[in-house]
Amino acid sequence: MSGKHGHKPFEGHMHDFEAHIRAVEEDLEYYRAKRFEPRIIYLIRRGVVTFYDLLKARVALKHRNQFFKPRKPQGKNIEARVRYLEEWLDEYVKGIALVSARAVEAMDMVTEDNRKERGDYDDFFKIKKKEHRGTLEERMVNLEQDLKDYQELLEVFVQALLHRGWSTRQELEQRWKDLHEERPWAGGVIVAKAWSDPAFKQALVATGREALREMGVHQGKVGKLVVVENTDKVHNVVVCTLCSCYPYDILGDTPWWYKHESYRTNIVQNPRACVKEMFQLEISASKELQVWDSTSDVRYFVLPQRPTGTEGMSEEELAKLVTVDSLIGAGYALEPSQQKEAMKLGAAPESPRVRPD
Amino acid sequence: MELKFKVGDAVIVASENPTGYPRTPRYIRGKRGVIGLVHGVLENIRDHRGIHTPLYTVRFDLSEVSTCHGQDSIWVDVHEEWLSEVRPDS
Repeated sequence: MSGKHGHKPFEGHMHDFEAHIRAVEEDLEYYRAKRFEPRIIYLIRRGVVTFYDLLKARVALKHRNQFFKPRKPQGKNIEARVRYLEEWLDEYVKGIALVSARAVEAMDMVTEDNRKERGDYDDFFKIKKKEHRGTLEERMVNLEQDLKDYQELLEVFVQALLHRGWSTRQELEQRWKDLHEERPWAGGVIVAKAWSDPAFKQALVATGREALREMGVHQGKVGKLVVVENTDKVHNVVVCTLCSCYPYDILGDTPWWYKHESYRTNIVQNPRACVKEMFQLEISASKELQVWDSTSDVRYFVLPQRPTGTEGMSEEELAKLVTVDSLIGAGYALEPSQQKEAMKLGAAPESPRVRPD
Repeated sequence: MELKFKVGDAVIVASENPTGYPRTPRYIRGKRGVIGLVHGVLENIRDHRGIHTPLYTVRFDLSEVSTCHGQDSIWVDVHEEWLSEVRPDS
């Protein structure tokens, strides 16, 4: 939420609490039902942990041996409560990353196993997501309770892994520390360099990862990277219609809607109507709209067009014009005046949370 | 592994393929497209075990996979065992 990733140092006011709460609701259920609980079930099926391990770990849990430190509310006003929920969600997601790595190592679990387990190929296995209803106040109270509950299962799962000897507290603490190390958001830097350096742009579009490796950008587990360039003739949009594939390791987390079924369905059914309704984006009739569906080992991101009025700007300044949406094709890079306006309003596009999973 | 297709080849996606790569989305099954990118065989050990058949990005006219018309297109990654050649006159 904050400007912790450096290039957007502004910490603004929130103008639309409902939108923030909706994002937390969607992301929280996504991470619980798609990333965390399927892993527990996978490990239970294989005896790495059992239900009884979890029960025993819960009973043995004391305040002093808790792995995750309890979070304290920052204030009673609505903005402080929304921030509290967002930060807690971030910690929950990092917690999932913490246990995933250990579990993967113990059980040789790969992403494909998780896709099967969570029902990507068979609705029978899908874990139902919770629906959110009520007033904003009721939804916030529900989220506070959900986060408490979900965090507790995560804590108990960590304890069970420790009891079973799959990891040590020391190992987990080191990894937890690593997970909190701040990695700058690479999206803006990559695009700004491509706008400023034609040779780099050519290499980026031609080779993807190799060009980034020379820049020293963290690559993670992206199989093959394809960068699709927006031009006067083509507008590109990225989707994963089956789940939510995206070059997370390079670009951080996506907005919640990227993982939502409505986007994943509509963008390949009627892309022009979809980007207009969801993002107020009118693609000129003279352009071809190309939608890229990542169904296998290739991950895509969009190289947006350089905005007008940016002549002579440094790469550092240019990087601030790059939004998360523009890398998906759900928006354009900002013009300098738009960026200034956004900063003033406190609605500056946020850099994505870097979620290492 | 020798590649069966090259950029520009007209292809049709199988309607079903129970033993094939499982992430071929339903909306392109049985549909015609053109090979847009050739990736070959990719190793990705943190994602899946072993290797899959060669991978291609196939370009579909939007009108082939939806009820919309116009110049727009959908590009989907498809593995070789899902694809067959289409003769230009068929």
